[in-house]
Amino acid sequence: MRIALANIGNAFEQIWAHRLRSMLTVLGIVIAVTSTLTVVGVVQGFTRYVSEFLQGLGTNAMWVWPERPAGEAGRRLGRIAMDERDLAAIEQNCPALRRLSPLIRSETVLVQAGRDEFRAPLEGVSADYLAIRNYEVALGRPFSIVDVEERRAVCMLGREVVRKLELGDDPVGRNLLVAGRRFSVVGVLSEKGSFLGNSQDELVLIPYTTALKMYPAQLRRMAATAQAVSEEAVPEARAQIVNLLRRRHRLDAYQPNDFKVMTQDEILDAFNSMSLVATAVLAGIVGVSLLVGGIGVMNVMLVSVTERTREIGLRKAVGARRRDVMLQFLTEAVSLSLLGGSAGIALGYGLCALASLHPQMVDVVIPLWAVALGFGVSTLTGVVFGLVPAVKASLLNPIDALRHE
Amino acid sequence: MGEETVHALRGVDLAIGSNELVAVMGPSGSGKSTLMNILGCLDVPTSGTYRLDGREVAALSQAELAQVRGRRIGFVFQTFELLARQTALRNVELPMIYSGASASQRRRRAVEALERVGLGDRMGHRPNQMSGGQRQRVAIARAIVQRPALLLADEPTGNLDTQTGEEILDLFADLHREGQTIVVVTHEPDVAARCRRIVRIRDGLVESDEARTP
Repeated sequence: MRIALANIGNAFEQIWAHRLRSMLTVLGIVIAVTSTLTVVGVVQGFTRYVSEFLQGLGTNAMWVWPERPAGEAGRRLGRIAMDERDLAAIEQNCPALRRLSPLIRSETVLVQAGRDEFRAPLEGVSADYLAIRNYEVALGRPFSIVDVEERRAVCMLGREVVRKLELGDDPVGRNLLVAGRRFSVVGVLSEKGSFLGNSQDELVLIPYTTALKMYPAQLRRMAATAQAVSEEAVPEARAQIVNLLRRRHRLDAYQPNDFKVMTQDEILDAFNSMSLVATAVLAGIVGVSLLVGGIGVMNVMLVSVTERTREIGLRKAVGARRRDVMLQFLTEAVSLSLLGGSAGIALGYGLCALASLHPQMVDVVIPLWAVALGFGVSTLTGVVFGLVPAVKASLLNPIDALRHE
Repeated sequence: MGEETVHALRGVDLAIGSNELVAVMGPSGSGKSTLMNILGCLDVPTSGTYRLDGREVAALSQAELAQVRGRRIGFVFQTFELLARQTALRNVELPMIYSGASASQRRRRAVEALERVGLGDRMGHRPNQMSGGQRQRVAIARAIVQRPALLLADEPTGNLDTQTGEEILDLFADLHREGQTIVVVTHEPDVAARCRRIVRIRDGLVESDEARTP
């Protein structure tokens, strides 16, 4: 214990005495730990952000849309279509589903109120849409069934649209022009925030029947958002939709689906596989820089052992055993690489803080395990690459060492 | 390559009693250094025995030898061999770190030893802030701090001017008067002249062994 304390004191003295050399030596370790922390922080931040966003997309939600599959089999399929009857059939014949809303999307459309105008995405939906997507009505009312059935020119606005059009505190009842048509505002959605720099509150909702009147081409290419009865029922609901649509579209067993079904989990999976790639790239960087850093530590420790041969001889003369000398140099190597690791952790935090300054950046989350990993990995590097110099020092013959010039 | 085994020492039979002040002299290549290494437990003889303070040390392991060096032998070198970055006090504490003394014990005994060699006012100085004579005094304090059975000095005045060398030899004489056993390895007749007994080595053998009154 006493020797250990003396060793640590010694180690820091040596490192401080050779500040520049020590700094250059640990650069590899610094880079390794910094990149670990930064990448893990950003990836974790994104993962949390994405899962929060997906929660916001709805509860147990899934999306269905017509799509020609890739490849030869896809090209052989006839017309790719999904119409209102398909959607009605899904709604009626899939017991694992609770709700369904057709989803008619357009390019962004020009919304005008008096002299103010603003481009926003337009979505044609049914009365159930708000419940599926967890949208809350901040002002006014949601669509009624009558609005949908009678194809009324009514709309609900996202907060950002209200703000940009300067509609004031109570826009309900105001008239505005959406893609050149007159609409009356019946409600305002509560704020959802932005995702990856895209505001989720720049949105105009209208009844899907009204949207189909504006975009009749979509009558044959309708999409839908649906909600399963429970989280456990999501895969079942998916299977029911697939089976039903394949039957209705008269697809043979060898033919691929002429539509796509995607659940929230699948979006999360897709994202997770992306972050897995990022992690793999990170592992490569970290591995290489640890190797470089470790060799740096080994090199500088070998130099140190040679420089201090006489000191080693003296220490042995005054009672140091081989083990004591070995531990002294091992302590020095580990201290060196731990300092590198600490610098890397500090720098990683700094970089994450810097990244967070970017307005479109997510909140970076540095998990404790990444910090622990940084310390652990740098300690291990010190031990592994410090071992050879330390053993070399411990085996020096005191007589020769004391005569060393 | 033909290798020839050279016996640096052969058949040396030497007894040094407690509280002796002995000079070991001899030309280079005489086996003087080998004798010193064996006396200092830095080396073990290939055959024969060496009893230090009543204990056979020729058959000890590396770790045991290190302990004997740390506790029973004090070394003084021609080139002082102080740790340059550490204060006089910490240099003197060094042997006690390896023998496991507590911090307070280390400090107390190191202060004592430094006061004994007349450096009570230089304890916080580093070697490069001291003169050669002061450095050698620090080295002597380090050598006596464990109260060793044997103080082994290798050309202790070799790097000092005559005046300072005399002061160091006076210090040895004082320590000897207090009961310390001292062996000085030297080739300087002036140094040997201060000792009570001179052992001359030549070609690995004791050439002469004379007691004298300085």
